[in-house]
Amino acid sequence: MIDSKEASAALADIDDIVQRVRQSRIYDLASQMMIMWGVLVFVANIATWLWPKGAYTYWLAVYVLGIAGSFAISAANQAATGVRSFDMRVLLAFLMFVAFGFLCAHVLGHFTPRQQGTFWTIYFMLFYALAGLWFGHAFVVIALGITALTLIGYFFVTGDAFLPWMAVVNGGGLIVGGLWMRRS
Amino acid sequence: MAELDDIIHQPLRLKIMAALNALPAATGLEFARLKKLTGATDGNLGAHIETLAKAGYVAVDKAFVGKKPQTTVTATATGRGAFARHVATLQEIIAGKQG
Repeated sequence: MIDSKEASAALADIDDIVQRVRQSRIYDLASQMMIMWGVLVFVANIATWLWPKGAYTYWLAVYVLGIAGSFAISAANQAATGVRSFDMRVLLAFLMFVAFGFLCAHVLGHFTPRQQGTFWTIYFMLFYALAGLWFGHAFVVIALGITALTLIGYFFVTGDAFLPWMAVVNGGGLIVGGLWMRRS
Repeated sequence: MAELDDIIHQPLRLKIMAALNALPAATGLEFARLKKLTGATDGNLGAHIETLAKAGYVAVDKAFVGKKPQTTVTATATGRGAFARHVATLQEIIAGKQG
């Protein structure tokens, strides 16, 4: 039989591994969503660059497809694990978050397309960074990296090159971040 | 008085069972993910999974995903029960009821 000190150490090992499993499952699910949003954002930025007149349609499509895709990923994950991750409550939180961004960008302020591209990216990255405080440092690293590259683009990438820059930095950043998170 | 489970008590097997027990029932972990979570080597992990499988505590499923072999390990109901009893015994020891 072991003593209480050894028993405490064994329970601490169990707690540690349970935390790791929990984080691993969060990263696995988040990486799938991040890659999906990354592809959508990449395509929308490139489409806006090539055919700017349809910009609002493209970005509306990004939100609709992104939400539908998030539900689909969540449903597939639920079938495998029994845990639902993207439900109506998360959808409402997401819509409130978007509504507040819309209020800032279109009502309180009147942002130029360049400012909007920057604002929406760093606004969503703020959400990632906050999520990282609870769910793991990878979210914070990805958010800070994309925010920094977005601001570099805003201040130093001039003219039409800004949209392809954002496609790579925001869309590509989410895809690379998602792949990295999957391996973490 | 409850006894510690000798099969689960070994440190790596305790980690394996803790990881599998943290998942919903019937959900398993791939060998590679389990290796990363526990920090074990291939050979060591494989040997301990075999011990747990022989005791009926885990089920091992080998399949091909594309051309790659994939091994998934899942805690059985027997394994989950044994793990719960083991944890309860550890808590009793800490509480001073045993030891």
